[in-house]
Amino acid sequence: MSVIQVNNLKKSFGFTEVLLGIDLTVNKSEVVVIMGPSGSGKSTLLRCLNFLEEPTEGTIRIGEYEVKAGGKIDRIRKKEIRELRKRTGFVFQSFNIFPHKTAIENVMEGPIVIHGTKPYEARKLAESLLDKVGLLDRCDFYPAQLSGGQQQRVAIARSLALNPMVMLFDEPTSALDPELVREVLQVIKDLALEGMTMIIVTHEMNFAKDVADRVVFMDNGVIVEQGTSEEIFQSPKEERTKKFLMNVE
Amino acid sequence: MDTTIIIDSLPSLLKASIMTILLAGISVVIALFIGFFTAIIRIVKIRILNGLANAYVSIIRGTPLLVQIFVIYYGLPQIGIALDPISSGILALSLNAGAYLSESFRASILAVDNGQMEASVAMGMTYSQSLIRIILPQSMRIAIPTLANSFIVLIKDTSLVSVITVTELLQMSSLIIAKTFEPLTIYLMAAAIYWVIISFFSNLLDRLEIRTSKYLIR
Repeated sequence: MSVIQVNNLKKSFGFTEVLLGIDLTVNKSEVVVIMGPSGSGKSTLLRCLNFLEEPTEGTIRIGEYEVKAGGKIDRIRKKEIRELRKRTGFVFQSFNIFPHKTAIENVMEGPIVIHGTKPYEARKLAESLLDKVGLLDRCDFYPAQLSGGQQQRVAIARSLALNPMVMLFDEPTSALDPELVREVLQVIKDLALEGMTMIIVTHEMNFAKDVADRVVFMDNGVIVEQGTSEEIFQSPKEERTKKFLMNVE
Repeated sequence: MDTTIIIDSLPSLLKASIMTILLAGISVVIALFIGFFTAIIRIVKIRILNGLANAYVSIIRGTPLLVQIFVIYYGLPQIGIALDPISSGILALSLNAGAYLSESFRASILAVDNGQMEASVAMGMTYSQSLIRIILPQSMRIAIPTLANSFIVLIKDTSLVSVITVTELLQMSSLIIAKTFEPLTIYLMAAAIYWVIISFFSNLLDRLEIRTSKYLIR
């Protein structure tokens, strides 16, 4: 069974319709890269998947857990959304790591609060995750003492600490200086090799070619076409895709 | 100017300063509670309470402290609530400072980047978990300079309580002047003591600000 199933997802802000009915299925260990011009709705789609934006219509299933959009926001529904989020790691363009906590405390926070892990065990888990993203020697540094790339890697470790079924990346390298992009992409590549299921919104073409099992091209709130990176990059079928690729290359 | 007057009146003035510090100290603790919860009520928009909190802040900020003191000390007995001068003073000062502090708290909570809330709820935290563990610790640091300011104003405002016969620093000064007819000396002494008290506390709060900001220093 697929890990993510999105059916007829719609989202509008006031009268502006941003998503016009998205259907998307992501299988286990699949890496899906979403591309498209700015304003095409790719970030909104990603943010809808864990209800950072409340979708207007449609259903989202992650693992066994399905949430319908557009219900009344009551206690039960809030709990449903939290359960969905616990299964989903989200990495932001602006990192959003907690500035008043050290790197290791950032990673420990989720397990302690969400899973009730004992601090001692949470520390061991956090150490192994920071080691994985190459920051074991930065455990006790505050975010202000870390570079953007290091902060983003802490953010990835923080998401992994909750053992999510799927990782969502919202332009994870867009806020980084060019020389710091690679270290973050490398971490994401490593995760792909380990079989993590991921959806990545990015403008990094070469990275997409490298890591994507499937590329989804979005424009004006719809999925225009999707396929392997060869299919999309070498022989796009749709006019809009061709135009976009010509502009970015 | 006669130095013996300074030496003779100093013990009484210092004793009265204790009352000033006590008034300010007790009031600020109560005001911090009022201010904090008023801010939370207004941010979370807890139904009926939100309206009350808005009205409270608006009324307190829209009227002079001296009027508030008079209403509490001279006005309330008319409806059967008679408080002694010290309690009236503390009540007025706390209510007054509480309204201003709530604005400081509110501004400091709203000043924390929205991404912090998003990141914590994206992990599956509840709104209150995120508020308590992530937002408030960061907002406290932002709040300290303005809280310090309000506290300094509060220390000065205690002098207004002298009008309802609380023997704090200013009231004591006036009493001594009535006996010695040395207004310049005595009022300058009072001013000097206020200055020492306020310098002491603002120094202390500066240090607290530096300590709570340590994570921001590279």
